[in-house]
Amino acid sequence: MSTANDIGNPWARWQESFLTESAANARRLAQLPSLYQRAQRVKKGATPSEVVYEEDRLKVLHYPGKEPARYATPLIFVFALVNRPYILDLKMGRSVVSHFVDRGFDTYLIDWGSPTYADRHLTIDDHVNGYLSNVVDFVRERAGTPNASLLGYCMGGTMSTMFTALHQERVKNLILLAAGIDFSTREGLLNLWAQQEYFDVDKFVDAFGNCPAEFLQASFLMLKPVQNLIEKPINFFEKADDPEAIDDFLTMETWLNDNIPVAGEVYREFVKFLYQQNLLVQNKMPVGKHTVDLRKITCPVLNIMAKNDDLVPCAQSMPFNDLVSSKDRKSLVIPAGHIGLAIGGKAQREVWPHTCDWLSERS
Amino acid sequence: MGDTSERESDGQKRCGGRSEIGQRKAPMNDEQESANHTAEQLAAFQKIWGETFNKMMQAGFTFSPESAPPEFLRQMRSGIFQALGQSWEQFLRSPQFMEGMKQCMDNAIAFRKMSGDFFTKVRHETQSTSREDIDAVMLAVRHMETRVLDRVEELAAQIEEVNKRLNASGQNTGRPSQPGTKPKGRTRRNPRKK
Repeated sequence: MSTANDIGNPWARWQESFLTESAANARRLAQLPSLYQRAQRVKKGATPSEVVYEEDRLKVLHYPGKEPARYATPLIFVFALVNRPYILDLKMGRSVVSHFVDRGFDTYLIDWGSPTYADRHLTIDDHVNGYLSNVVDFVRERAGTPNASLLGYCMGGTMSTMFTALHQERVKNLILLAAGIDFSTREGLLNLWAQQEYFDVDKFVDAFGNCPAEFLQASFLMLKPVQNLIEKPINFFEKADDPEAIDDFLTMETWLNDNIPVAGEVYREFVKFLYQQNLLVQNKMPVGKHTVDLRKITCPVLNIMAKNDDLVPCAQSMPFNDLVSSKDRKSLVIPAGHIGLAIGGKAQREVWPHTCDWLSERS
Repeated sequence: MGDTSERESDGQKRCGGRSEIGQRKAPMNDEQESANHTAEQLAAFQKIWGETFNKMMQAGFTFSPESAPPEFLRQMRSGIFQALGQSWEQFLRSPQFMEGMKQCMDNAIAFRKMSGDFFTKVRHETQSTSREDIDAVMLAVRHMETRVLDRVEELAAQIEEVNKRLNASGQNTGRPSQPGTKPKGRTRRNPRKK
């Protein structure tokens, strides 16, 4: 038989919880007015760097590190043309770059810059055989080595793959991070939405010139609307009385909303040749006057993928290792999302130290 | 639309030409098809959201009086969001959504074109430069650049060839060899080394 105490306990617990939550909510609300000012103070990039090369809007950052480089082969980070590259050096404790710098790699990062309307005619060829080629040459010259290692993230990974296939002699190691290679999968929503019958990329680019940043941002938000538009703000509010959580949130949101447009022709080629025609895996991808043949990649490759990636699903990156001629090839699948793959706790604790080990044995 | 044209061509075959009835029937078929299409979209929409609310209700019924209230509420919220997330995913993958997205894009493109044409006309009327003119100049510069870079690449290849021959003859005659040319790739446009 239940006593009055047993019946009363849950009610008392509810009352107590109500008071505790009300007090916590008051503390959280008190934090909100200062958010804007705190967001203004978010630092972009944590590791000390210097600009060593500029070309048009492109900048190459060099991370000198505290001690001289221990490995001869320099490492170049190739970020996507979408968003800014400082996600790779977001903040202390969440920086991919710092792992490599601290381990003694001569580290460089390409910041492609934000294209203006005048850059709408720039193609993948301009980026791969133009800018990227020049950066690799500059870094090789600076380091005095015949080749460099490339680490490409997302679209930067796809471009690094194209570059390596076209200029294998200049690349010593290739590391891919959530890079789109096989676009035949229908696992990701972007792959579905970009289908030729639903999206006329020619009309779109002809009308808009560059692909607007707002369009890209809206597309990314729509990949997980409930999580991005409802759950995220609620979760943030629940942690609003934790300064560390606020700092993480603001840093991340600053990056997420720091969107840039994509040069029109690059966008056209990317959608048409990759998302719609899937030419890269067929070794038919045209880059200017050249055709990318993945079989020409012979250097060591490390293919890192995120299991819960909604932007570049695993199935899109997985076939890469079977398409190249490299004998030294390895895949890593991490239980993380597209961004978590770079800055997530597990990635910081396990993936990057492991990747540093892998690269140090080959540099 | 495909069905309508098939019916029309059948009618033409039977009547030996485009009949008056056929001409009158076509718009009716179009309207009917459009109505069917809308009904189909509505039905699919209803189905997806009906399932969503069902799942959300199920998530709300996992109540245990023993669990602490905030945890219980969070668990319920998480269940609701999960159900909602799954349904959205399903909806975003549906042909109905993609058809709607296509229509939106087509309208946005048409509007952009229309406003572009309007501003071009205004600027031309006021004898100023429109974006279209800038585009034309940019494209001309771009073609010129491509031609120049192609020529430079050809010249680089020729110089490389000449160097190879010189090196080969230098090895034969004992003369010092010439340095090699830059590997293939575009010439730097505007490099600024620091």
